[in-house]
Amino acid sequence: MVTNGPVLELNSPENLLKATALVSAVIAALILIWYLVRRPPLGRTTKVILLFGLGIFPLGVALTGNIAGFEYTLQRQFCGSCHVMLPYTEDAADPHSNSLAAIHSRNHAFGEESCYTCHADYKLFGAMTTKANGLKHLYYYITEYSSTGPYGEGGPKIHMYKPFQNGMCTRCHSTTAPNWLKNEEHAGVVEDLRKGDMKCIDCHSGEKIHPRAFAHGGNGRPPAGATAAAAGKGE
Amino acid sequence: MFSISKITIRRLVLISAILTLVSLFLMIVSIVFPKPLLLVLAMSLGQLFGTSSLALYLLAIVLDLQGVGEHDELGSLGDE
Repeated sequence: MVTNGPVLELNSPENLLKATALVSAVIAALILIWYLVRRPPLGRTTKVILLFGLGIFPLGVALTGNIAGFEYTLQRQFCGSCHVMLPYTEDAADPHSNSLAAIHSRNHAFGEESCYTCHADYKLFGAMTTKANGLKHLYYYITEYSSTGPYGEGGPKIHMYKPFQNGMCTRCHSTTAPNWLKNEEHAGVVEDLRKGDMKCIDCHSGEKIHPRAFAHGGNGRPPAGATAAAAGKGE
Repeated sequence: MFSISKITIRRLVLISAILTLVSLFLMIVSIVFPKPLLLVLAMSLGQLFGTSSLALYLLAIVLDLQGVGEHDELGSLGDE
């Protein structure tokens, strides 16, 4: 479990990295504050102490903090921290939802990283290009979506940068498993799928993967309960 | 040639210390409150400030080891 508050439980490598970063930062800050307050002469001892405060410990913070930060960006919770993603992430996390996103998220192989697992590029620099696109997300969020409704209502239609590739699915669904081929519709198009002439999402469309988001043409919408409440108010 | 004094070296260390504190703050805030904007700030500005401050400190040390400013007014240099 990932904690989002100031209290850390050391029950995962990510939290251990965070704790290491925090401890290193506190030590470095104490050294620097000591120097700024006392202003000792720059003798050999002071230089060595400052090397720890300005170099060793801050480098430790940067290293462990970056790894922990990168790990956190893989989590569905992080994707949902932009409110326009809530129709996607809430559905994926809903144990009663039968959407493809929710079914995959309940699979422990995807788990809390289900967004990243299905949407990240798998090329050599896949992680880098995915994170670079994440910066674009942030730019668009600030410039176009920040003032939209609680679920992104009123914002431009959300779409992917490029069509969803079969490779995202065939990474797990290899198209060779007997159970998969037993499905007549799969068996009839397997060669087209392998060649890329047909897309998985031609049948397993966005409406089936993220129904709450696609119900309104890709724009965000509140969950069913919230919609009913809004309708009751005549909105 | 060089008009760098001991006081300048101490100022470099001072700026370095302040920049490091700022970068530490940015990085820690992003760890405690991992929001997209904070993470981006920590991984860009935080890293930039941290790297710059270390470079400034190393520059100060190199200048100090080279004996820059040794002939300045020593009396006023002990504690700036």
